Amino acid sequence: MGTGTNVELKYEISQNAYIKLVLHSLRHKTAAVNGVLVGRLSPKDEGLVEISDSVPLFHSNLPLLPPLEISLVMIEEHYVAQGLSVVGYFHANERFDDVEVCGVAKNIGDHISRYFPQAPILLLNNKKLEALSKDYISSEKWKDVIDFDDHLDDVTKDWLNPGLFN
Amino acid sequence: MVTKTEERELNELENQVENGGGGVWEYLCLVRKLKVRRSEIVLKHGLSILNDSGKRSSLGPDEWTLYEQVAVAAMDCQSLAVAQNCIKVLQKKFPESKRVGKLEALLIEAKGMWEEAEKAYSILLEDNPLDQVIHKRKVAMAKAQGKPSLAIEHLNKYLEVFMADHDAWRELAEIYVSLQMYKQAAFCYEELILSQPTLPLYHLAYADVLYTIGGLENLIAARKYYAATIDLTGGKSTRALLGICLCGSAIAQLSRGRNKEDKDMAAPELQSLAATALEKEYKQKSPAKLNLLSSALRSLKLS
Repeated sequence: MGTGTNVELKYEISQNAYIKLVLHSLRHKTAAVNGVLVGRLSPKDEGLVEISDSVPLFHSNLPLLPPLEISLVMIEEHYVAQGLSVVGYFHANERFDDVEVCGVAKNIGDHISRYFPQAPILLLNNKKLEALSKDYISSEKWKDVIDFDDHLDDVTKDWLNPGLFN
Repeated sequence: MVTKTEERELNELENQVENGGGGVWEYLCLVRKLKVRRSEIVLKHGLSILNDSGKRSSLGPDEWTLYEQVAVAAMDCQSLAVAQNCIKVLQKKFPESKRVGKLEALLIEAKGMWEEAEKAYSILLEDNPLDQVIHKRKVAMAKAQGKPSLAIEHLNKYLEVFMADHDAWRELAEIYVSLQMYKQAAFCYEELILSQPTLPLYHLAYADVLYTIGGLENLIAARKYYAATIDLTGGKSTRALLGICLCGSAIAQLSRGRNKEDKDMAAPELQSLAATALEKEYKQKSPAKLNLLSSALRSLKLS
């Protein structure tokens, strides 16, 4: 996703945003999962994208439009009040050794970049997940992560995951 | 497929078992009956029974079923040594058994030795060409190797013979969706709706696929299937209610400038009923998100 400028793009992702996405992948180990990155262009450095949060989206039927459209509308509505917006896309493939950026990821990434041209696609390296996940697995925090799929099945479940890091 | 009641029962048992409250055998039987995938928990607690000779012998003939269940769970968790040990026990007890032979082939598959597994399954199929489980393993192997077109080919051949296997039709639909082959996915859901017209899940999935394909006719059809879902679920499907609103907005956009008297397209009552139902649901169950929902619905009406 290029810009038109000559500024080199850098991305900074907050620990919580990153961990949320990892926990989401751990919770749905046998499926492909995706999510959006939330943040803004740094007010001090136009080459820096600050990713301050993330929202896990789905763990089934990722390419279907209706749940995706609703989730993006609601997520934008929520974050616009904080001066933030959807600035990128996260995807984890179903298979362990699959490192391809699939059609779905490209389509959603393209869509997001129409509104935020510097949007990155973050693809999970499943092999490295194994090494990373020992701490998180033992704490079983991944059981608490709620995504948009969960919310649509039961609206009492909060996709903002407010208590996750307490 | 599992009903909500069954899922609740399963989760309650699971919590009990995980928190040391007993009920392990009951849980393991329920998992077997519902055919759900809870491999880590099955492995942990199943093994604890098998490793305790007292508990093991109190199972009687069920002991062998447990070995089988734990073997499969172990393979799913890549604990291949455990699986191998369980299979050895079964081999000793039931030499020449075809059922154990299936487990041996499954272990070869779990090791990622695709060609050998293929051979093992072919041999098993020679003796029993109508074994559905083995046919499905071929689909699973194709998927695992990242060969979705081969998986589709196998699944289509399977469905020519076993056309009443709803789970297989659903699996095929989901593979098509993952490849963005929506028209083919739609065909699968049509088959499912024809055979089980009172299951809201299929109407909902079909509507989602139609909406994704897009175009005025498909949007109008999608709206009908969302409406059918609402009918079949007594208005409880949040996804279907949202689907109605999305369709309304998309249809309005596409039919701008067209003949406004076309009754098929405008369905303002349906849309406002759906919106009201959603707001009521959020007010009751998720009040913190009500404002978000309302402004989302408003922006759908404007777009």
